[in-house]
Amino acid sequence: MISRRLTPADIAQVMALELELFNNDAWSERSMRAELGLAHSFYLGYFDQELLGYGGLSTIAGSFSSDIQTIGIALSERGKGLGKKLMLELLAHAKKQGSEQVMLEVRSDNPIAISLYESLGFLPVDVRKRYYQPDNVDALIMRLEIKQPIVLGVESTCDETGIGIVRGNRLLANALHSSMDEHAKYGGVVPEVAARAHLEALTPTLEKALSEAGITMKEVDAIAVANGPGLAGALMVGIGAAKGLALANNIPIYAVNHLVGHVGADVLERGYVELPTIALLVSGGHTSLLLVKDLLEDVELLGETIDDAAGEAFDKVARVLGLPYPGGPQIDKLATTGDPKAVRFPRGLSLPKDMEKNRYNFSFSGLKTAVARHVEKLEAAGEEYSKSDIAASFREAVVDVLLTKALNACEAYGVKRLLLGGGVTANSRLREVALERCNQAGIELRIPRFSLCTDNGAMIASLGAQLVMAQRPPSGLGFGAESTLEVTQVQTN
Amino acid sequence: MLLAIDTSAGTSAAVLDGEKVLGFSLFEDPFGHAENIGLAIIEALNQAKISAVDVTAVAVGRGPAPYTGLRVGMATGTTFAMSLGMPLYGVMVLDAIALSQSSKKFYVVADAKRKELFLAAYELGVRTFGPEVIQPVELERFSDYESVALACDARLVGLYAQRALFEGTDLSDVSALYLRSPDVAPSPGKKVSG
Repeated sequence: MISRRLTPADIAQVMALELELFNNDAWSERSMRAELGLAHSFYLGYFDQELLGYGGLSTIAGSFSSDIQTIGIALSERGKGLGKKLMLELLAHAKKQGSEQVMLEVRSDNPIAISLYESLGFLPVDVRKRYYQPDNVDALIMRLEIKQPIVLGVESTCDETGIGIVRGNRLLANALHSSMDEHAKYGGVVPEVAARAHLEALTPTLEKALSEAGITMKEVDAIAVANGPGLAGALMVGIGAAKGLALANNIPIYAVNHLVGHVGADVLERGYVELPTIALLVSGGHTSLLLVKDLLEDVELLGETIDDAAGEAFDKVARVLGLPYPGGPQIDKLATTGDPKAVRFPRGLSLPKDMEKNRYNFSFSGLKTAVARHVEKLEAAGEEYSKSDIAASFREAVVDVLLTKALNACEAYGVKRLLLGGGVTANSRLREVALERCNQAGIELRIPRFSLCTDNGAMIASLGAQLVMAQRPPSGLGFGAESTLEVTQVQTN
Repeated sequence: MLLAIDTSAGTSAAVLDGEKVLGFSLFEDPFGHAENIGLAIIEALNQAKISAVDVTAVAVGRGPAPYTGLRVGMATGTTFAMSLGMPLYGVMVLDAIALSQSSKKFYVVADAKRKELFLAAYELGVRTFGPEVIQPVELERFSDYESVALACDARLVGLYAQRALFEGTDLSDVSALYLRSPDVAPSPGKKVSG
């Protein structure tokens, strides 16, 4: 006997069995066909040439709840455990999707089915009087609670110490300690300063996360830690901390990819992440364009910056304009009163000749230099100039090149979804233009709330939880920091 | 039962009952701290035939030592102790090395990178100088001292902690002993191009 997912093509066999088993209560062919084709439905059939049993589960994305839609076992197969086997597969699917409960309704005059559900842990929660007509039989509503794994995530790839806690697809805590202020006097992130700050921030950030989630370490089922890409010395503090937590509590540890974590953050925003998606991750450390078909299996790097990250360009241009670190918010503020068309700054790697090798790569070093030269020239000539105009024109160039390439990728790969992540998503112009262009192109734009966009521990916990829910084996204890970890490597073993 | 952790040179962990070492694991690799720390602790616990919940306190080497590796052991010790709600003790690693020395007058020296040295000097069992970062030429000042250049490890950290706790010495400072400010010069100003 084999089992496989049913599709509308199986309608004839399903209806034959449905009518044989349920006569009065049977679904119409029309609604059954629709059910089999729904994206949020999961119908499973057992075959031995003929269909011998089937069952369906419906999970509305983001509801954290699944429903058993139907279950039918051929009379010849009754009493052989097929019903239980089918139910267990449906429940496993519900759990993997992040559901925290599974509901079902059953005829109150069907003690065999009721006892099967009870044996699986379902409890009666309600009765719907005379639900089954014309037989005039009550429906018993039953509920199974699913315990999703509690995962604690550690993030220390750059200057943010993040400890996040999730339960399955649900956010419980997202504690953050940033050493940004300490880097201000240097005009950029200093690796040794960041690493020192991580060690000092561990205890308070961990305490804050646990108290925010209202749990103790004893309740945590697994640890996740970002082991790259990032600053080696900073990563090593997080890895050491994560291993200490895993060892002390005798729980598994998952080493996960920081960049893929940014994509996984959207799971916490709405209970699931819709795929495929193009993801544009823009921060002080990264500018990466990804094609994500499966969060755990299929992440492809389409392009990235070949020199400065976009956030770094903001910091450097801010310095040129005499603005403090970090430059992003400063430039954003100044630019609101400036003319974005005042100066036409270059769009890196956007010429026809760049399209072959650097179609989805970025370069901001030339742009930064162009701004600096422009300002130096004006100053040398003793000319008055508007800093707001320069800020606005620079910001426009960055935003334009980021979104042009991201939307080109959406079009080229036929993906109708764009997810933004990273600290630069705080930029008001980036959000504005992204929304404008996505609306025009009929592309769904996803921007998680800022605390989930910037580096944070919750997104690492979330990606770890996805691995746990997919029953992936944990990483061994021997992994280390991978500064240049490839985005295709979601988990390090 | 004390779990001692040290990543000031190699990566090591030890389990001590009083001054008796029940388990000890050392990876001499001067890098690889992040990779080896978990394996060292597991091995030390296994040798001692105990599990994590049997540990009652944690001691970590707090340097001075090359920072990047040092922090790994400190981070692991910090979260290990915190999540089981047990005390964490910090041990100055040159003191830990000095404990096993019998000479009357000696210094303990370790590589501080960048052609400098970490040094502490001892007379009749008492630290009289350091820990400080010195230039190699400054060693002349200590020409009448015996030179001790040994790597610290978790066994030494554990033994020092047990002795110190017995004698009532305060080991509550668990911050890293860097002895140098972060390796940077502040921003030079606005020159960006060129």
